[in-house]
Amino acid sequence: MNLDIKHLILLVPELILVGTALVLMLAASRIRTTLPVTVGTVLAAVAAGLSSYWLLPDEPKTGFGDMIVVDGYSQFFKVLIASALALVTLLSVKRNPPLPPLAKGGLGGDRPAEYHALLLLASTGMMFAASAVDLLTLYLGLELTTLCSYILVGITVEKSTSNEAAIKYFLLGSFASALFLYGIALVYGVTGATGYGAIDSALSEHGLASNKILLVAIGLLAAGLAFKIAAYPFHAWAPDAYQGASAPVAAFLAAASKAAGLAALGRVCLVAFGSEGVLSVVLVVLAALSIIVGSIVALAQTDMKRLLAYSSIAHVGYALLGFVSATSQGASASMAAAGATATMTYSFLYVFMTLGAFGVVIALGQRGESLDGYRGLAAQRPGTAALMLLFLLALTGIPPTSGFAAKFVVILSVISTGHFVLAVLAVVCSVISAFVYLRVAVMMYMNEPQEPEPSQYSWAVSAALVVATLVTVIGGIIPGSLTFWAEAPS
Amino acid sequence: MNDYIGIAASFLVAGVITVAMVVLASTLGKKKPSAVKSDPFECGQDPFSLPGGKQAIRFYLVAILFILFDVELVFLYPWAVIFRELGVVGLVEMGIFLGILMVGYVYAWTNGALKWQ
Repeated sequence: MNLDIKHLILLVPELILVGTALVLMLAASRIRTTLPVTVGTVLAAVAAGLSSYWLLPDEPKTGFGDMIVVDGYSQFFKVLIASALALVTLLSVKRNPPLPPLAKGGLGGDRPAEYHALLLLASTGMMFAASAVDLLTLYLGLELTTLCSYILVGITVEKSTSNEAAIKYFLLGSFASALFLYGIALVYGVTGATGYGAIDSALSEHGLASNKILLVAIGLLAAGLAFKIAAYPFHAWAPDAYQGASAPVAAFLAAASKAAGLAALGRVCLVAFGSEGVLSVVLVVLAALSIIVGSIVALAQTDMKRLLAYSSIAHVGYALLGFVSATSQGASASMAAAGATATMTYSFLYVFMTLGAFGVVIALGQRGESLDGYRGLAAQRPGTAALMLLFLLALTGIPPTSGFAAKFVVILSVISTGHFVLAVLAVVCSVISAFVYLRVAVMMYMNEPQEPEPSQYSWAVSAALVVATLVTVIGGIIPGSLTFWAEAPS
Repeated sequence: MNDYIGIAASFLVAGVITVAMVVLASTLGKKKPSAVKSDPFECGQDPFSLPGGKQAIRFYLVAILFILFDVELVFLYPWAVIFRELGVVGLVEMGIFLGILMVGYVYAWTNGALKWQ
């Protein structure tokens, strides 16, 4: 297999991100201001997003010896990941960036170059995960992402909660990676392949569908991927990691990381193990438990980032509903495709609404971190409060926001394959979660302010909020306008 | 099954040599015990201290840098074996790989990781 220029073209978005990250690393010791790094990273993210869209082929194109594929599915998620990267970069801009007090040896203080290089490399890993058609490429992509995420969670070294969160995330994350790798080994042992297509043909040719070792392997793979998307019961790291991490990093984990995990999970479930009935059961359990636990436990939270963490757990459950219908046994090919695109639509709209909610948390600074900080916000900052209300309504799933459109397509897709109980559960839990989100709205609009007015936030945070708002409003008023090009993996 | 006979044989040879060395040394060798000699073998550490003491972070940095070059070598060996078959393309690919690794090295260098402060 030679280095073919045609194969490298398939990786243009990734190459842009890696190139930018390398330049940042080389210049790291000289960079002391955030602005050039922010501009460079946003430009790289936009270029990566545009080139992903530009690479959108009519026919799926594989490259590097069937290790990666570029198709409608992968490019959809790549555009989504690139947008999330751009928004998170904007959200990371602080109002008055403190001059970096560099400790001895160059550690500590603000290190804009490293922070952005890690964001870029994590996004590269996510893009590989979306493109992977081989379990080993997928593992590499996910590992690149999580290794960078561990450091990002702990990058605020002076905060002890941040260090604690990073260690917890690291220990649980390495354990999940090991499980996933063991699953790959078992799949290879049973089928003699790691490529998705080869696994699928081995399963159907040799009638291995009920092989016991294969069932264990699928369980391990599902556990590893469920950890990445923080689905119950593999969610325990998320609230701690989000709370300890700085708010932009938490936003990145809640948005981009979940989208990439869902992209990987979808392709594994639909392409590699498409003939495997047990996966549908696994997904039903993961989705149902995530929705129930995420919605109910969010009621008890007093920290805004923890609340959003449990909300993200519930939302990943809703997103999984599309894959549930895509993998269910009775689904025809068109129903399966509709299920997969439902999950893609949900991920797309969810990423922007959750980034918007985190954006308001970031805009309010320290005050936005605890739930009490939202008391009386509407009297002090009506605009910010209105934005938060919009994102909360979207997270609840109330029309005319994009949250309603998103929930509508996934619930419709499970109804079409006969999972009525799951559909009812999803609707009931939406009502429960309305309690969670509207509690914040009540605090903002019906309580007296108890804290001084928050300071103005930077232009970059406003820009990110504008984009998130536009997507949330347009995605709700004209459903499907932004996600019509979602395409199921083949 | 025949493929495993070689492995079994090497296990056997290794076992025999190890046992023979220990037995011969303890029966034929002279014994002059001293406090240092009868300590368990450790790399410069006190073998009987409680865990949880402080370890200088500098060792960690050195270990990370070691991994940087170690991983590089792991990939260089198989590459060198089939270097002729890969031709110019292989050389360019390895150049890119080493270039990316070197960025990590330059980063460590310019940020003072090589200074033993």
